[in-house]
Amino acid sequence: MRVTRLVTMTALVTLAGAAGLGAQEPGSGPTSAQLVEGFTDSSRWSTFSGDYSGRRHSPLTQITPENVGSLAPEWTFQSGTMARGRGFETTPLVWDGVLYVTGPNNYAWALDARTGRKFWEYRRELPDDLTYGRSAPVNRGFGMLGNQLFMVTLDAHLLALDRTNGNVLWDVELADYRIGYAATMAPLVVNGKVIAGISGGEYPTKGFIDAYNPETGERDWRFYTIPSPDEPGGDTWPFTGVRERGGGGTWMTGSFDPELNLIYWGTGNPNPDYYGDDRLGDNLYTASIVALNADTGVIEWHFQFTPHDVNDWDSNHVPVQADILWEGSPRKVVMVANRNGFFYVLDRVTGELLLGKPFTDTTWARELDDDGRPIVLNDGSQGCLPDYWGGTNFMPPSFDPVRGLFFVSARETCATFIPQKPEIEPGRNSSGGTVWVDRDQAYGALRAIDVRTGERRWQFRYPTPTMAGVMSTASGLVFAGDNEGNFMAFDAESGDNLWHYPTGWSIWGTAAITYMLDGKQHVLIPSGTNLTSFALPD
Amino acid sequence: MFTPIIVVALGALASAPAGRSRKWVPWLVLGPAFALLLATSVASAQDSLANPHEGNPGAARAGRALFANRCAECHGADAKGISGPDLTELWAAGRSDGSVFQTIQRGVPDSIMPSSSAPDDELWAVVSYLKGLGTVSQVEFSTGNADQGRRVFSMNCAECHRAGRTGGRLGPDLSRITLSRSRAGLTSSIRDPSAAMRVGYRTVTLVTEGGERIRGLKKAEDAFSIQIVDTAERLQGYLKADLRDVQDEAQSLMPPFGPDQLSDGDLDNLLRFLASIREASDVP
Repeated sequence: MRVTRLVTMTALVTLAGAAGLGAQEPGSGPTSAQLVEGFTDSSRWSTFSGDYSGRRHSPLTQITPENVGSLAPEWTFQSGTMARGRGFETTPLVWDGVLYVTGPNNYAWALDARTGRKFWEYRRELPDDLTYGRSAPVNRGFGMLGNQLFMVTLDAHLLALDRTNGNVLWDVELADYRIGYAATMAPLVVNGKVIAGISGGEYPTKGFIDAYNPETGERDWRFYTIPSPDEPGGDTWPFTGVRERGGGGTWMTGSFDPELNLIYWGTGNPNPDYYGDDRLGDNLYTASIVALNADTGVIEWHFQFTPHDVNDWDSNHVPVQADILWEGSPRKVVMVANRNGFFYVLDRVTGELLLGKPFTDTTWARELDDDGRPIVLNDGSQGCLPDYWGGTNFMPPSFDPVRGLFFVSARETCATFIPQKPEIEPGRNSSGGTVWVDRDQAYGALRAIDVRTGERRWQFRYPTPTMAGVMSTASGLVFAGDNEGNFMAFDAESGDNLWHYPTGWSIWGTAAITYMLDGKQHVLIPSGTNLTSFALPD
Repeated sequence: MFTPIIVVALGALASAPAGRSRKWVPWLVLGPAFALLLATSVASAQDSLANPHEGNPGAARAGRALFANRCAECHGADAKGISGPDLTELWAAGRSDGSVFQTIQRGVPDSIMPSSSAPDDELWAVVSYLKGLGTVSQVEFSTGNADQGRRVFSMNCAECHRAGRTGGRLGPDLSRITLSRSRAGLTSSIRDPSAAMRVGYRTVTLVTEGGERIRGLKKAEDAFSIQIVDTAERLQGYLKADLRDVQDEAQSLMPPFGPDQLSDGDLDNLLRFLASIREASDVP
């Protein structure tokens, strides 16, 4: 690994010199070009998924199926910030031996990656009348460019922090939190722009994806996830005010294809979540994936997974890119294991559906029609449906390109939805009903899906439906977690459990990262209020 | 202890500060059914806080709607808990109206449970709703003879169940069970205990590598381990790697008490006895 790294660094310096930029100053953060390189320098984890592809698959090979059994904790960082909030749902960024971490209630830290000790701590003063941000006071991570860190807030702002001391450099409002907006996702820096999404689909809000100038905080473009009546897709809503509060949040980080210059982003549920009678139609672009031009925000294509969703099956998943052989020809694809229980493979140039197959035992639908619409067998009248947290959720999956396997945390659940027409008022939750969840019939599983067939290769079953994400490595390991707090390593080929460590709290809505430091491969997992770093013993 | 110092008609509250007026809508809709008086107390001890809407069915209905909107995501639409705890047996566990009110208002520090700035009346409505879920009228248990019932309990139940200050710990504590469970529900649990086993009281048999069979109640389980209380009331944790098998059983550890084992008359006496101790055993 060391040799590879040296070669890469030399190449970088040469490249920078040739471009007339001069050598990079010591201590400076990533350039746009370095962000494109992703995992090339294995000491770094510089975007939410580690690289732009959304695969969360590291090239590191020091920790292997043979030696992972001796993986041991090195240090634990305790945030102490769980009051009023959930625990860590963040992906730390790693740069030059420093971890940049966001936490619940808009805390943030710079930590020494060798010891877990604090360089600085940031805490935002939040108003006491938060709306959506009150019910889910979480944050999923920083974006980073140069000496700046970018973070969204529970009162729906976007901040730039100084990487050296955590000071706020600029602060802009994404939307008015009092209506129901909040922001929790990790911003994605692409082409010198900061891309941010918005939460609040349980309130009368309208989703959007924004791009900001990293130097000034000025907005470059905005894409609304709900088209106006005269735009394509505008006729999938009634011609009333419904579309102005129709949901379609964008609360998870997307992925980016630098060659196609397209951003792929998931969109959330229509609002009200469960009561759909006042929004008859497909409700584009909710519960969809959209492909946007990174420079302009103009939509290139879309695919809707759940037309007219009434089960809160947001499609806020990390879109996972791959270049695979499809029926004998190379194809650029983007893959999504969806909250509606189906696994999808789409052509990421055109949005064409290549494959859509259930990866759960859902009775909602078992097949898609020729247009990619689920053929609904059970709208709930035939018994239980996947619950509102779905067949999987926003916790990141991973993809191993050599094995062609997609690893995802699946949730097998059973719920009954009872819609009820809500009162629509700014700042007031308008989920539109209640849901009964049958806990006796629920379980979770880590599943490996062959992306060429959609067939399950293996699974490892958990006692309860987990919300933990997945990370894999080129050595043939899959790192995953569960509700019971176990952080685990599996053989990517067989699914055999090779190692586990009880962290003491559910691993929930977050996934591991890995990086080289001082010649050692480290694996870090957020769990509850803790971050724990692991490595092989000397 | 309860000292009303301010008494105002609820209607007057409709003219509360404009920013809050929307929150009163569910109350106004209830109209005369909810033409109650609001009382505020200076009492500081939480247990002396009394629900000003005690016994008002309108309050419980309003509380149900509020609960669905604000609490159900974590506690479940049926209040039996999802990520948050089961709230249907709070009173059976010894909680008072006032302490439940204060938990909702203040939240639980260092947990996911937030504080609430909602008006007191809304919080009391939620208290009314929850209490209704977990409260059964004493009238249901007004027949039978408590002294006879105490003898039935000692002979048949006390080995595994606690009532007041005596009894075993393997099964659920029955000291306040008649607060939260109806006569029909308790009868069913006594006659056919395997029909519905609560989480934490489900039977499991562990088979060791040596072939030893250990029976107990499953308290917790993860992918790699299991925690039980065995039939000798010992807390025992096992690694699944050390076990040959983990067998979840459909039969409760509690034997069924059909009419041959327990006559209808003795069942009546038993329930009367349990009801007689429920208030006496309230935690101060």
